[in-house]
Amino acid sequence: MKRKLKEVVKVPLSVDERWDLIEKISKQTVEFGAYKHTLKDAIAELTVKPLTGIPVAIAVIYGFWSFFCDFAGTLFTDGFMVKIFDEHWLPWLQSFFLGGLGNPFYALMVDAGHIEDGVLVASDNCFEAFGVLTSGLFIVFGVVLWAVLAFYLIFAILEDIGYLPRLAVLVDTVLHKIGLHGYAIVPTFLSLGCNVPGVTATRPLETRKQRFMMMTLLAIFVPCGAQIGIMQELVPELMGWIFLTLAIGYLGFGFILNKIVLGKSPELIMDVPPYQMPTLRNIGRKLWIRTSRFLLVAVPFVLLGSIIVGLMYLTGAMDWLAAVFGPLLMVWFGVPSETVAPLIAGFLRKDLAVGVLGGLMAQGIMTTFQVFTSVVLLCIYFPCLATFALMLKEENWKEILGSFASLVAMVFVYGGLIHLIGIMLGVA
Amino acid sequence: MNENEKKFGQIYFAVLGAVALAFGAAELIASAGEGFTWGILDSSGASDPMFLPWKAIILLSASLFYLSSVKNFAEVHQIAKAVMASIMIWIVAGMAIWARIASSIPGEETWFNSLEGFLASYAPPYCPEVFLLPFSLVIVYYILKEGET
Repeated sequence: MKRKLKEVVKVPLSVDERWDLIEKISKQTVEFGAYKHTLKDAIAELTVKPLTGIPVAIAVIYGFWSFFCDFAGTLFTDGFMVKIFDEHWLPWLQSFFLGGLGNPFYALMVDAGHIEDGVLVASDNCFEAFGVLTSGLFIVFGVVLWAVLAFYLIFAILEDIGYLPRLAVLVDTVLHKIGLHGYAIVPTFLSLGCNVPGVTATRPLETRKQRFMMMTLLAIFVPCGAQIGIMQELVPELMGWIFLTLAIGYLGFGFILNKIVLGKSPELIMDVPPYQMPTLRNIGRKLWIRTSRFLLVAVPFVLLGSIIVGLMYLTGAMDWLAAVFGPLLMVWFGVPSETVAPLIAGFLRKDLAVGVLGGLMAQGIMTTFQVFTSVVLLCIYFPCLATFALMLKEENWKEILGSFASLVAMVFVYGGLIHLIGIMLGVA
Repeated sequence: MNENEKKFGQIYFAVLGAVALAFGAAELIASAGEGFTWGILDSSGASDPMFLPWKAIILLSASLFYLSSVKNFAEVHQIAKAVMASIMIWIVAGMAIWARIASSIPGEETWFNSLEGFLASYAPPYCPEVFLLPFSLVIVYYILKEGET
């Protein structure tokens, strides 16, 4: 057989000769007989049939989300990180850093402070300090790191068990309605950790139409782990509504895109491996690679974002922008002009921007509905800079302009619609 | 699997399914109102009310899986339904236990919880799925039996 194969490499075979060779190989290697279904096969079948697969998917997503909240929120962020940053790091910086409250450099690096009864007072927590070394580091190492770690841990386990391809088969029918197929669930899930690997994972999609649609939907409607972590920390009671709004937008806008974007959406043949026990080594490797890559991308952007936002506040640029865009935001979206700052900060890092919104909420500047609207707007209004840079690489200019146009249209239509629903419900 | 094991499995999972159905229905009703605590059974969703309706849906689905597995229990596809029901209960119960572990380690004012505080975190009342957890483990016996054949 080996000799024959070597000959094949040297001499090109006709189609008939190839089939003959395949038959000979299969006769020597494949055993034929009645196949009895094993328990593994039966379980695999149950997880892809809609009637049984959907409840299982709900249980898996419940487990995913529940673990995420308790690991990142309860145990690490609230349990240890808030204490480290608020009770030790912030007071230490406030007492030792050069300058002091009111000093521009101190405000940029440590604490901008806030006005209480006409007096500038120091912040008592890192979320509201808005300094590079306080808010910036707290967001990265106090909140985002644990959220991303929890997310990628569960993602790697589901991937290695073999559940993700089955989830793809399960959602295939729904996603076909918007011109995508089940595989789209993989980039979508990956993007819930970080949009950057999510955009990269669109490569197996065959046509440019599918890739364009997938990237646009990811950039607009899928919040990253960092953003989810901060949202869970600041507005846990609104999470269900925020995700519902984004899911409706994902499917609705996907349906519209499928109708207006030219091109084909062919089938994709996917390998569905058997269920297997994940290995600790594989999980550890994947976790390390993904988390370290995320940190390499996120840390510089969060720190840069903190500096730029701080400088914009100090120079008065933020006030100017708020004055220019304020009326539009107030009339069309129903949010206060102060939201301009987080929306601009969101271009650099959305997690940082949600943190700024948290500060506004703590000061009582925004109502619950306005916070909800602002967080949804922040999710959909523009991808973060890192994702945008990757999209520039993955898409051509025509597609980038298309994505941008879709995005602008979507923000205005969807944001206005949310405001309208709020008015009708009497909450806006 | 012999006839006795099959018979036992049928009765056992029918009863477990019925209990899970009752717990699921109770959680669903609880999620619509303020919830309830009855002795050592807690269905108030006090720690996270957002999750309560989802837990109810999962418990109800698990109960239906158990009940539908009873007929012709020795057949592999039927056992698979009971296995999936048990896995669903392991997920919700596992997460309830994990939530207690996560909140029991850090202290309120101190870095770590005191021993008393740590142990107090595991005191009753418990949510329904935690009660179902040990009973759902019986399926492991049937998985091993199926593996032998």
